[in-house]
Amino acid sequence: MAFKYKLLKAIDVAGLQVFDPVVRLCYGEEPKLQLRRIGLFIVIPLLTLAAFVALWAYVGPRHKTKAGEVPSPAVVLQAGQDTWRFDAWEDTKAADYKRAGQDREQALAAVNARIEELEPQAEQAAAQLAEVEDAYRTQLMEQVKPLYDEYRQMRVDFRDESQRREAELEDRAAHLSGSVAEREAFLDALREHRQWEEGEKAELAAFKDQIGEIEDAKAPELEAARAQSNDLGQELQYLRKRRDQLTSDNLSLKLADAEQRLEQREQAFLQASSGEEALSLANQILAEEAAMERIETSTYAKPWTLPDQIMRSILCVFTGFVLASIIAIPIGILCGLNRVFMAAMTPLISLFKPVSPIVWLPIVFIIVGGFIPEPSDSALLDFFNAIPVLGAYDVNPAFLSSAITVALCSLWPTLVNTALGVAAIDKDHINVARVLRLGFWSRLVKIVVPSALPLIFAGLRISLGVGWMVLIAAELLSSSEGIGKFVWDMFNNGSSQTFAQMFVVVFVVGLIGLLLDRIMIVFQRLVSFDGAPTAL
Amino acid sequence: MAFLELDHVSLGFGPPNDRTEVLKDVNLQVQENEFVAIIGFSGSGKSTLVSLLAGLQQPEKGCVRMHGQPVTEPGPERGIMFQNYSLLPWLSVHGNIELAVKQVFPRYSRAERKAHVERYIEMVNLTPAADKKPSELSGGMRQRVSLARTLAMQPEVILLDEPLSALDALTRANLQDEIVRIWGEDRRTVVMITNDVDEALLMADRVVPLTMGPEATLADAFTIDLPRPRDRTLSNSDPDFKHLRNRITQYLIGLNEEAKALRVDERKEMPDVRPVDFYATRRTSFWERLRNNDTDAA
Amino acid sequence: MKRLVTFCTSLLAAAASFAAPLEKTDLKFGFIKLTDCAPLVIAKEKGFFQDEGLSVEVVAQPNWKTLLDNVINGNLDGAHMLSGQPIAATIGIGTQAHVVTAFTMDLNGNGITVSNNIWEEMQQIDFDLDTPFPEHPISADALKPIVEEYLSKGDKLQMGMVFPVSTHNYELRYWLAASGINPGMYTKTDVGGRTDAEVELSVTPPPMMPTVLEAGNIQGYCVGEPWNQQAVSKGIGVPVVTNYDIWQNNPEKVFGVTKKWADANPHTHVAVVKALIRAGRWLDETDASGHYVNRDEAVRILSQPNYVGADYNVIKNSMTGYFYFQKTDKREMPDFNVFYKYYATYPWYSDGIWFLTQMRRWGQITEPKSAAWYAETAQKIYLPDVYLTAAQELLDEGLIEKDEIPWDTDGYKPATDAFIDGITYDAHDPIGYLNSHQIGNKDFVGTTAGN
Ligand SMILES: Nc1ncnc2c1ncn2[C@@H]1O[C@H](COP(=O)(O)OP(=O)(O)OP(=O)(O)O)[C@@H](O)[C@H]1O
Ligand SMILES: [Mg+2]
Repeated sequence: MAFKYKLLKAIDVAGLQVFDPVVRLCYGEEPKLQLRRIGLFIVIPLLTLAAFVALWAYVGPRHKTKAGEVPSPAVVLQAGQDTWRFDAWEDTKAADYKRAGQDREQALAAVNARIEELEPQAEQAAAQLAEVEDAYRTQLMEQVKPLYDEYRQMRVDFRDESQRREAELEDRAAHLSGSVAEREAFLDALREHRQWEEGEKAELAAFKDQIGEIEDAKAPELEAARAQSNDLGQELQYLRKRRDQLTSDNLSLKLADAEQRLEQREQAFLQASSGEEALSLANQILAEEAAMERIETSTYAKPWTLPDQIMRSILCVFTGFVLASIIAIPIGILCGLNRVFMAAMTPLISLFKPVSPIVWLPIVFIIVGGFIPEPSDSALLDFFNAIPVLGAYDVNPAFLSSAITVALCSLWPTLVNTALGVAAIDKDHINVARVLRLGFWSRLVKIVVPSALPLIFAGLRISLGVGWMVLIAAELLSSSEGIGKFVWDMFNNGSSQTFAQMFVVVFVVGLIGLLLDRIMIVFQRLVSFDGAPTAL
Repeated sequence: MAFLELDHVSLGFGPPNDRTEVLKDVNLQVQENEFVAIIGFSGSGKSTLVSLLAGLQQPEKGCVRMHGQPVTEPGPERGIMFQNYSLLPWLSVHGNIELAVKQVFPRYSRAERKAHVERYIEMVNLTPAADKKPSELSGGMRQRVSLARTLAMQPEVILLDEPLSALDALTRANLQDEIVRIWGEDRRTVVMITNDVDEALLMADRVVPLTMGPEATLADAFTIDLPRPRDRTLSNSDPDFKHLRNRITQYLIGLNEEAKALRVDERKEMPDVRPVDFYATRRTSFWERLRNNDTDAA
Repeated sequence: MKRLVTFCTSLLAAAASFAAPLEKTDLKFGFIKLTDCAPLVIAKEKGFFQDEGLSVEVVAQPNWKTLLDNVINGNLDGAHMLSGQPIAATIGIGTQAHVVTAFTMDLNGNGITVSNNIWEEMQQIDFDLDTPFPEHPISADALKPIVEEYLSKGDKLQMGMVFPVSTHNYELRYWLAASGINPGMYTKTDVGGRTDAEVELSVTPPPMMPTVLEAGNIQGYCVGEPWNQQAVSKGIGVPVVTNYDIWQNNPEKVFGVTKKWADANPHTHVAVVKALIRAGRWLDETDASGHYVNRDEAVRILSQPNYVGADYNVIKNSMTGYFYFQKTDKREMPDFNVFYKYYATYPWYSDGIWFLTQMRRWGQITEPKSAAWYAETAQKIYLPDVYLTAAQELLDEGLIEKDEIPWDTDGYKPATDAFIDGITYDAHDPIGYLNSHQIGNKDFVGTTAGN
């Protein structure tokens, strides 16, 4: 029983009240009521979501532009899977690089077996694709050729007829008499000729559009063959790269080679006769030793993949958020405590608050660049890269610029809320402090800040939301590796999956935003003392 | 020279065009170790008086003095228990009291402090709730925390603003005894606001009524020279007790009538408002309502 | 077998590196998502960098400006650059910084695409264009009446190119001017290059081209692959001409680094160029019948999302010896992308001088310069010594053949008239070349002496 209430309390604190009826139902508490609540707060939202997906699945493929069509949920799911597969493949390649001994041999055997299995399949698929493509092309040509011929004939006829008519008109114009009626009739004839020309042209264009439509018509068979051949080709490419990673590019083999070379040199050095030769060989030995050291610490240079980029984005927004808090909370407290300071800050706050990240970023970029003249040799960067988790994600000027931009755009809600929370402190609490004769600092720490904390956290929560939104734009502009860079890269790829990948990003960004918000809600609930509910 | 005194003190609120003179020309002398009860109607200015004594507010005219020195700021030597408790909502019962104790007795070791805090929590019977936040307590429990906090500061002057108003009879009696005991043992000075004549009679050396506001002032004091310890079971039979109670009650009733008489004079024309019968409207049909509206309008 | 070969190779590579310890082994190179970044990508993916003892990361850049800035401020060690970029940076057009190159990445590879509407209008005007297989090359003659019609309506045709000093800008200008259409002049005050323009050119990043064309903001563009094939496959526009037809085997991208970097890392620079030469050679390897044997694999690699990332089919359309002009108009173009043949990778002074003449022709260089200035400037930017050192090492290691490298050249290609308008270009006489064009700045010998 006690556990039940603890669980319910935890759910409540975590902001997951929707699951409250589920827990209660499990404990058999008022099943009817709980079922009704589940219906209202879980089933209905799920149904809405399902309706949204259904609507999307229906409308998406029917909305086409030349750049592509709105991807259906299935296509988006596929794109998501492909993105994750890319990451998994790269991880495997990196792991292969480090494999040694039996592990390496086993992996190699598996890879070779799979290659052997796939190669004939791929060949067959390629042959089939070529066949389908040929068939498609000849069929298309057969269909289109006579139409083109007809079109050409039409154009020739049109040209000839047009020339004939124009010559006729010219002739008529040359023999025009002074009669008004005749001149009017001529004008009419010319007008009629122009109309006829327009009509013919329109007819030609319509005919050509018809041809175009046939040419542009989708060929599902061809596309399927292409997709199949493509999938096989892709996997084979991956397997061949793996084979390289397990053989010629393998760390353990390279080390063995280097060792062998070192030994050769050492042998030669022992037998060196002249001083010159000995010196040269000794030098070579040192160089070889250095090379071996380098090989030992080398890793496969894995490209940035979405999961890594997500992690880096989260770290970036966190860095910016911490920075924003460090700036906003003290200034907010000062504003709340001192009306003069508040008055002094108000114009600055109002001025900078609405500035967009797109404007901040270039400015920040220049300023950060000023602090980091040489990225490969910068104490500031070294400092950040020495921070445990952060350091693994390569802090560079672009990262710092993005983080600072996030901070600049997201500090305002925290600042304003802190000022408000401090200024609106209950007079009774101040009276307590006065009676106890608390000094400035204890008053701040024991009375002012705790009483403003719920509002400060409400501000922080908004700040984090804003920061997350801003970050994507900042990363995109600064091309700092992260979700923003992923978006820009995928957009630049202009592949058939580009649209779908944008949708993947929509969901990834949304989900992480949701998660961050939930975390902030938990904090907010932990510091709220009046039991006031936090917004959804 | 009095230990604590109000010397022709006046105080009002609001801007000149909309002013309420709350207290006017108030004089009070409290002797050292005296227990004074101030009694008066709601809104007459009792709390204002207490906060003047505490130094939380400054008089506009006149002077508040302690040991002959003007009181310019509040301090822990004049411990005040606020009428609205003023507990810090983010601290537990223990934390609220500890904050005060830590400030008043900075030299206490951790253990001493803990013992001290716990003693006072025990005194107000809140040991089981020591770790609860104020929002998890009942009104009466909060009042007791506030009382414990004030007493735990062991101030020279204890200023109590209706300290027991929200408590049941039994708890109330216990705490009355406790306050009197502390006053008697440590020989402190107490100024207590109450609106319970019996309570004042049981506890105080002197009962001072505050006249009706605005422009309230202190009337002549009733000296209670009943022997201590006073037995509340006797209060219904003891003739002295009954006599004093009658006198004070009569006086207060008089004050009230005087005030009412005053108010009749300045009575304003009231708008003719008819209370709405929600229950009825809920049951009448739409058409009936329409008809009613018609007749109302007529 | 392969293992043995690579073992020998690495032995040799290691042997080379004893003589020349590398200054820096962890490198970061930038590229733009275009198929001609292939040498960089291939050198990495096929392990050519690794063979030189280099650990290289290649990072996609959002646009040419950012790419150049990142090279200059040290975020990148080097990058896939437009041929005009090191030149412009060194002489101070736009950003000022001494950038050099020791390696030409490819020849040709661009195309000019017009919108479907413009194409139809051109077909209306030129009867011969109105077939599924019109005869090539297509000049801008059929465009001229359209330009005039626009002008008569007080409007100007808008076309896109990728960067003010890009090959695409000069090619588009060349093509238009060859048919008597003035693409506008740069002046001291007009850095947009629209003075007297009959067709207005504007900068659009390559990947945006199809989108902007479809939106109707521009009526045509000149860009590298896969962005012309993209227009074909999506039916947005029609490529009318490739830059192979504008100037046969014209230089396209180079591998650029800052002078400062090159001076600080001479041995690393040579090692990088070695790997790039091998990559170029791998890309252009053919079988006995002249078919590229490695291009399919290259396309496969380039279509990975972290490299060019376009669909395999789209990249393939231009990379494997063919070019699609319309969905049904597939033509053989074995030289559309040249990565190694024809001494393509050598850093020719004459290439640099051609770009300088174009910068002068269109007014980006605002004052007349002497012929000597052209030669000196080219020599400041192109580093054949680094290239030849790298090539010599490769030859010693048996990785290339002797006749694949122009060992004894003075850095000038022979004069050529393989342009769409047949005008002869001789790099020894830049002033004469300038003056042989109808449209554009002309300098007279008398006025150039001052420089
Ligand atoms: N800060 C203030 N501003 C304006 N008016 C005030 C203020 N504080 C008190 N008053 C007014 O002063 C009068 C006295 O208030 P006070 O709180 O002292 O009454 P009280 O006697 O303690 O009443 P109760 O028994 O209900 O506590 C009231 O009419 C109130 O409206
Ligand atoms: Mg009161």
